Amino acid sequence: MELIKLALRNLSRQKRRTFLLGGAIAFGIMIVTIINGFVGAFIVNISENFANLAAGHVFVQGIEKSKSGKEYEIIHDDSALMAAQKEVADKLGIRPMYLSKRSTFAGTLIFAGKNAQLTIDGADFASETYLPERLAFRSGGMKGMSAKEGLIVSEPIARRLGAEVGDRILVQMKTYTGQQNVGEFAIAGITADPGILGSMAGYANKAYVNELLNLGPDDYQSLGIYLPALEGMDRYGNALYETLRAKVQVFTHDAAKKDENFVTAMMSQAKKETWSGTKYRVFTLNDMLSQVQQIVNVLNSASLVILLILFVIIMVGILNTFRIIMYERIREIGTMRSIGMQRGEVRSLFLYEATFLALGGVVVGIVLALVAMGVASLVNFGLNSPLFIILKNGHMTFRLEPIRTIADVVIVAALTLSAAAIPARNAARMDPAVALRTVK
Amino acid sequence: MNSARIRRMLFSVFIGILAAAASAEGASPGGATAANTDFKAMLKAVDELSDFGKRDYSAVYDIVSEEPGEKPSTTQIKLFRRDEHDQIVILIRKPEAKKGQGYLKIDENVWFYDPESGNYSHSTMKENINDSQAKNSDFKKYTLASDFDVVKAEEGKLGVFETWVLTLKANNVEVSYQNIRMTVRRDKPIPLKEEDYSINGKPMRTVYYLPTYVQAGDKLVPAKLKMVDEVNKGKQSVLTLSDVYVGKLDDKYFQKTFLESAQ
Repeated sequence: MELIKLALRNLSRQKRRTFLLGGAIAFGIMIVTIINGFVGAFIVNISENFANLAAGHVFVQGIEKSKSGKEYEIIHDDSALMAAQKEVADKLGIRPMYLSKRSTFAGTLIFAGKNAQLTIDGADFASETYLPERLAFRSGGMKGMSAKEGLIVSEPIARRLGAEVGDRILVQMKTYTGQQNVGEFAIAGITADPGILGSMAGYANKAYVNELLNLGPDDYQSLGIYLPALEGMDRYGNALYETLRAKVQVFTHDAAKKDENFVTAMMSQAKKETWSGTKYRVFTLNDMLSQVQQIVNVLNSASLVILLILFVIIMVGILNTFRIIMYERIREIGTMRSIGMQRGEVRSLFLYEATFLALGGVVVGIVLALVAMGVASLVNFGLNSPLFIILKNGHMTFRLEPIRTIADVVIVAALTLSAAAIPARNAARMDPAVALRTVK
Repeated sequence: MNSARIRRMLFSVFIGILAAAASAEGASPGGATAANTDFKAMLKAVDELSDFGKRDYSAVYDIVSEEPGEKPSTTQIKLFRRDEHDQIVILIRKPEAKKGQGYLKIDENVWFYDPESGNYSHSTMKENINDSQAKNSDFKKYTLASDFDVVKAEEGKLGVFETWVLTLKANNVEVSYQNIRMTVRRDKPIPLKEEDYSINGKPMRTVYYLPTYVQAGDKLVPAKLKMVDEVNKGKQSVLTLSDVYVGKLDDKYFQKTFLESAQ
């Protein structure tokens, strides 16, 4: 206890030095904590934003293959799908919030001699009641969607075409079998700029989209299952895959080679195989975003490298500072040793100082990081920010993983203690008589 | 009167003059009526015009595309065809940025080759070539008789020619356009105009077979085609044929390695 008091007193005696060394540790831990918080939220925000855009966490696509080997995306009869998803929901106790049955095409919008490319999602607004709530309208709104040809486009698309709410535009597109077709839409609403996803943000009534795609009124192309949370996604996806596998033809998940994304593997599989009727692809948002996960892994590795570089620099500083401390206190050490302090106690004194320095720096660093993250999350970048996809409702968010944070603290403590260990050992080995007669 | 309208008028006059010049014997309906004409046989005859059978065919097409407010752009392709095995190779030679890209069709598979990535990707015969109005399918032999049913046949006149205007509906989904109105000379099964419609009946493209022809073996191949985009007003492409060869082509042209080394 006396040693701890002594260590704390030594630290408070040299306030400037303690402040600078502790500040360096605090700065390092703050930077690393902010990076970790950002990376933690990065994948969650991207997943949630994609889930909103793609209208689901788990997806099922129906693929038919023509005699000539062409693949057509279509789901005619979804009774097996519906039964399977209900079975999975009951088994896992995860109730999907929404089921979205979408038909989609990419087309060229034509208005007053101007063109714009847009992917238009055909949605059933009567059942997808959450969708209008997520659309930030700049002008117009859902009212115009009561017309069959109603279309919702984003601001950049409307600007590019020079079109306003109420204007009628032509859309050149292809049917689900690839034949040429032309549709005529009326702009019902213009939504906020969704940044890099501007070209993905067109919505129309599924009935009309189906007509243009030459699909039947009850057909669609993909089923999106929107779950209450991201956490159950993989379990739900796997269970749905296994359940469907027993009922209908499903593209296997086993075809993927090592390190290959099985969504890509399923695509290649479809090209090689022949089948009759409909064969289903089951995949989750995590499968689609596996490349984003790779980015997260890179960011995690980068943050670890930054942590190590910062603390190697700090370690060198601590090592030198403790050498100076030892030199400054050489007579003090001699006196303490002369009045009975043991070698181990001298070593412990130095190590306690280093530990308190590290702990103080870590606590201050984490507090500063929390403050910085809190301030950053208050800034509203807006829904039209190019960073939209990594934001949550226009705000930056941070998510700290406790294990990661604890690991960082342990690394900092270990590095600081190892930096102080050599001067502490040298101080402990000092002969009291030599120390007492040393003149600084 | 705007320049586009003047161009269209001049173009109509041009068609008439060329049509008159090309038809030395003049148009002759020959007493045929819709009731006594076998239109399926007529479509077969049109198909045969472009079918080189056991011989191979190669040619160069210069495609000049116009778009309102932009300078005309030129795409040049070299076409290799082996109709006997339904094989096609389309190699893009111009513009420089697209040079070396190409399509290869073997049986029902169509691949697109991009020299930049060095990779093949699956494609279709419905793709447009370098943003022009021409599609890959425009360069294959006609298969009108097998792909379409004649829904209606009307008598008509285009320039000096007496014509049949055949309304065709596709009987499969492999063709680019579900509905076509084909204007064919009544005296010979030579197409003069092709109007392509969307699946919901909207006009999408009109192809004018300008009545100048190049002798390719025992076949007459249209030397010039004009393709007008009916959806994007003012967009059109004119295709001019040259360097025609009919005979035996080396097998190497119909293999992937050819496109890979062509650049």
